[in-house]
Amino acid sequence: MIASQQHPLFRFQLTAACLLWGFCYFGYQSTGTAAETKPPTGEQIYRKLCTQCHATNGQGVKDKANPFHGMKTLVELTTLIEETMPEEDPEICQGKDAEQAARYVFQQFFSKDAGAASEMARVQLSHLTVRQYLFTTSDLLSNFLGTARITTPEHGLRAEYFSSRNFQGDKRVEKRIDPVVNFQFGDKAPVEKIKDAAEFSMKWEGSVLPEETGDYEFILKTENGARLWVNESEPIIDEWVSSQGREKEHKATIRLLAGKPYTLKLHVFKFKEKSSSVVLEWKPPHQAQEVIPQRNLTTQQVPGTFISATVFPPDDSVSGYERGTAVSKSWDEATTTAAIEIMTTVMKHLDRVAGTKPDDKERDKKIRQFCHRFAELAFRRPLTDDQKAFFVDQHFQESEAPELAVKRVILLVLKSPRFLYTDREYAVLDDFAIASRLSYGLWDSLPDRQLLDAAKAGRLKTPAQVAQQAERMLKDPRAQSKLRYFFHHWLQFDEKEELSKDKTLFPDFDELVVSDLRTSLDLFIDEVVWNGSSDYRQLLLADYVFLNERLAKVYDVKLPAGQDYQKVTLDKDKRAGVITHPYLMANFAYHNLSSPIHRGVFVTRRLLGRTLKPPPQETEFKDGDFKPDMSTREKVALITSPSACMSCHSIINPLGFSLEHFDAIGRYREQEVQKPINTAAELISVTGETVKFNGARDLAEHIAGDRHAHAAFVDQLFHQAAKQPINAYGENIRDKLTTQFEKSGYNIQLLLIEIMKVAALYQPHS
Amino acid sequence: MKFQSRRAFLKELGLSTAVLPLVMHLPSLGFAADAKIRKQRLIVMFSPNGIVPKTFWPDEVGDKFELKEIMQPLKPYQDQMLVIKGIADRVRGDGDSHMRGMSCLLTGIELLPGNIQGGSHTPAGWASGNSIDQEIKRFLQSQPETRTRFGSLEFGVNVPHRADPWTRMVYAGSNKPIAPIDDPYQMFEKIYGQMKDRKSLASILDDVREDLKKVSTKLSSEDRLLLEEHESYVRQMEQELKVSQEQKLSVEVPIQDVGIKNDNDHMPVTSKMQIDLMVNALANDMARVATLQYTNSVGQARMKWLGIDDGHHGLSHKPDNDQDAQDKLTKINTWFCEQLAYLVGKLDKTPEPNGEGTMLDNTLVVWTNELGKGNSHTLNDVPLVLVGNGLNFKMGRSLQFKEVAHNRLLMSLAHAMGYHVKTFGNPNFCGDGILSELT
Repeated sequence: MIASQQHPLFRFQLTAACLLWGFCYFGYQSTGTAAETKPPTGEQIYRKLCTQCHATNGQGVKDKANPFHGMKTLVELTTLIEETMPEEDPEICQGKDAEQAARYVFQQFFSKDAGAASEMARVQLSHLTVRQYLFTTSDLLSNFLGTARITTPEHGLRAEYFSSRNFQGDKRVEKRIDPVVNFQFGDKAPVEKIKDAAEFSMKWEGSVLPEETGDYEFILKTENGARLWVNESEPIIDEWVSSQGREKEHKATIRLLAGKPYTLKLHVFKFKEKSSSVVLEWKPPHQAQEVIPQRNLTTQQVPGTFISATVFPPDDSVSGYERGTAVSKSWDEATTTAAIEIMTTVMKHLDRVAGTKPDDKERDKKIRQFCHRFAELAFRRPLTDDQKAFFVDQHFQESEAPELAVKRVILLVLKSPRFLYTDREYAVLDDFAIASRLSYGLWDSLPDRQLLDAAKAGRLKTPAQVAQQAERMLKDPRAQSKLRYFFHHWLQFDEKEELSKDKTLFPDFDELVVSDLRTSLDLFIDEVVWNGSSDYRQLLLADYVFLNERLAKVYDVKLPAGQDYQKVTLDKDKRAGVITHPYLMANFAYHNLSSPIHRGVFVTRRLLGRTLKPPPQETEFKDGDFKPDMSTREKVALITSPSACMSCHSIINPLGFSLEHFDAIGRYREQEVQKPINTAAELISVTGETVKFNGARDLAEHIAGDRHAHAAFVDQLFHQAAKQPINAYGENIRDKLTTQFEKSGYNIQLLLIEIMKVAALYQPHS
Repeated sequence: MKFQSRRAFLKELGLSTAVLPLVMHLPSLGFAADAKIRKQRLIVMFSPNGIVPKTFWPDEVGDKFELKEIMQPLKPYQDQMLVIKGIADRVRGDGDSHMRGMSCLLTGIELLPGNIQGGSHTPAGWASGNSIDQEIKRFLQSQPETRTRFGSLEFGVNVPHRADPWTRMVYAGSNKPIAPIDDPYQMFEKIYGQMKDRKSLASILDDVREDLKKVSTKLSSEDRLLLEEHESYVRQMEQELKVSQEQKLSVEVPIQDVGIKNDNDHMPVTSKMQIDLMVNALANDMARVATLQYTNSVGQARMKWLGIDDGHHGLSHKPDNDQDAQDKLTKINTWFCEQLAYLVGKLDKTPEPNGEGTMLDNTLVVWTNELGKGNSHTLNDVPLVLVGNGLNFKMGRSLQFKEVAHNRLLMSLAHAMGYHVKTFGNPNFCGDGILSELT
């Protein structure tokens, strides 16, 4: 959207309140009386309707609008004005007026040079986003500390049981794989071969595999002596002494990045305590506390991974996706804090990272070589001689310990714009810039050795070479992690703080179920994207879901034996991919009722890619205001019936109504308030035709076949990958990519590769 | 962004504050305390496994006494010394003598039942109360005129990296042992890390700005605006750093040798580094209370630099008639006494910042041990050598008591620091209150 600061409408709370369209009055009468008078010019319209928020000079008014920055084509801008501007009453600026206003804004503010107007959406200098910063610094140090990779398909932890309290090798009586750590031994021994239940010890070792990036709380419950290590060489929980009165629940929180494994070790011993138990739980970001599932454990150990604990300010996401186009004092401070954090880590392991020893005669030389390499990797390109001198060599002085120089080098490199910014324009686009664009596009991190080698060898010039690399890179866990991040954003996972429901109506719907639903949806998306044809339409049309036993109970399915998630058909012929997934249905609902409005807005914006203006005023949806025998559909129809509402609700409501078979927790229902559910709906499409559909599957088929929806998906994927507006890459790019997407059988992976070909090879001055 | 709120935020997230590096708006480090109020300090130094009574305790009582072999290094400070014999750790209950000797030494209270088995007796857990140094710290930190940045600093020398009742003598409370920091570099980071980081940072900010300018020239005019804004923040930081560097320390930060390994063989070096750092930190008024723990109870230091290859604890079990072992133990304890003498000498050479006399005039160093004697594991005659005039005790004397509970000595330390506790540790051992004989 252009410079509006009004936020997208539906950041709703889980009370029975929401924003609704209301009336408003604005004293501008244009088209009605235009018969006698000359049509107003763009400038006149702008002065009358737009300056209140955007100011005469286009710089915006505080708290109302930001300065304009051009990212739209003239046609798009016109549509946007027609549909959303002025915010008080978009109806009053339509047709020719909207076009005039758009032209004026376009020429006046998007560009000082009207002739260059078509180039106005541009690739902007951007700094690393928070996500990019975390992955970049982690991978940067992995180059020196070792990369954590899992090669075994085995899940669970390696367990060893000893009949002494101190893990004596000759007292080991059993070795096995434990799927999870969740044991209540009481006053008994943990395994038969241990005869004396008063004294024994146990080890569980392997790695933990987090699926989200963020802060993880580890909870160790034991009355015995225990130590837990995760990623770090020092235990994160050290409770070796179990004195009386000590807490039996021990907690520690550490940040983990998704898609990487982290060594986990748990050592426990019992000596004369009355009982013994060990339960190892975690609380991942956005999910409920539970025993660490087998799925997230492997038997293999890996080198430690650096993860910055610095708290960065959130990225600018005015454009609908996070990007690094704004700087602030707190951001600059965070980059300093993080640089010092990294410097401290490097200093702690200096001899290791520099491949030297304290008594090595070549130590100084090796340390300096390390600094060169560090700078090269951080800048994602080789250093010129001048840069070597500036960033590294000038800091080494005869009279000083090399440690002092290393400190300065690390700080200078990590504070340099060459490290902090991506998408700097170079006079000539070179292979290293292409390598960076690829790695940030697909991984949100810096190029790996293969990419840098390809760049060095000049093998990153053609679309085919870029595609070949992209294909390879998609197999990396970082690509999977980035795509998951995209889907979370696309499906608005990230906009909701907490999901909870009316306890009397939905007694089973607790936080564990919510957590499982989120996992279930992730598994579904992974299945579609990474297994088989990667077909976007399957995201909308597939009729299966993943359920575990807990979910099966709530959604009334008989599961075949086995605890973990299984692919099952739920409500045969009624479900449609993500659209009816219970997690989304529950997310877009009130705590006691479904919400056709929230669902409709989601479908309109995210799936169909249509623009909606923000609601001009807040109206509360109070359930108590309606007659008790009214269906949700009737209630929504009633309060949105005024014509001022209908300009948007004529789109929103039918889309939402078609999902009315799904209640507030996404269960299928035939009836509400003893009436059959009515899902019949009609929608005027973007191209003006009337589309009729009845129910979720009809709706899904419509979206799966709608080019506008396909283009919207292309748009959103492009933006998350490149972190730049698609329009900057040429007027027809969206169209071209959409056609390719359709021709490829809607292959999401291929689309990503096509996007990378465009974004990586883009030449601003060509 | 404020330091406090930021730290609180990290704490909420459960992230370690140890990873919290420099933050710009750190409040004044509080170097300039009110010069009118005397700064009293307490240092407790610990060495393990008992002493050799014959070569340790002076025979005489009163102000005329001969220093035995072990205490010879303190000769220059004899008139500022108080040797106290006859104090007993009378705490009983779970745990063997080493465990109780260690974990009750400064707490004066029983260990909790637990899962840690010693060489004899029942298994035990942590002490059930806080230690006197922490109690005094809490008191000092509760008043603005005695409040310091850290309150207390816990130093160690070659302490094994395991937490159990043999390795911990300092307790913040029941079940809350505090680990000493035995790595001089880590301790340096804790005390001066932020300042050093600021200095490194200040030295590169000119280059950062130059770099920003260089990169700017390759950008379009729109993109250049972003870097100009970025540069303005770098400039602000530069100015803030300049202001913060105008805060002066009373004494310069010590320069540490780099690359010293923290292991048994380097104890002589790390010991000096820790003492240098401690005196420096106290001079800069970072804390008023400090502890210095050599190895641990049952510690096995092998003092090869004295020509002794045996482990300390092993030797301490040898019988009294094993002359070779007795000689070695005397040497080992003499070495500890030399460390004490180095500490005392350092305090004596450092003028009291913003005050009168030397730091030793305002500091009391207590050298103690978890056992009276290693081979008997007695908790009677707990070794106690006090040096310095910080607590206004009447120095230059040798005192002898008869099995007086050590809780009373702990109380005396608090009283002399201006904190009139009624009891400390197990109240049953606090009977007649403080030891009036000390003043």
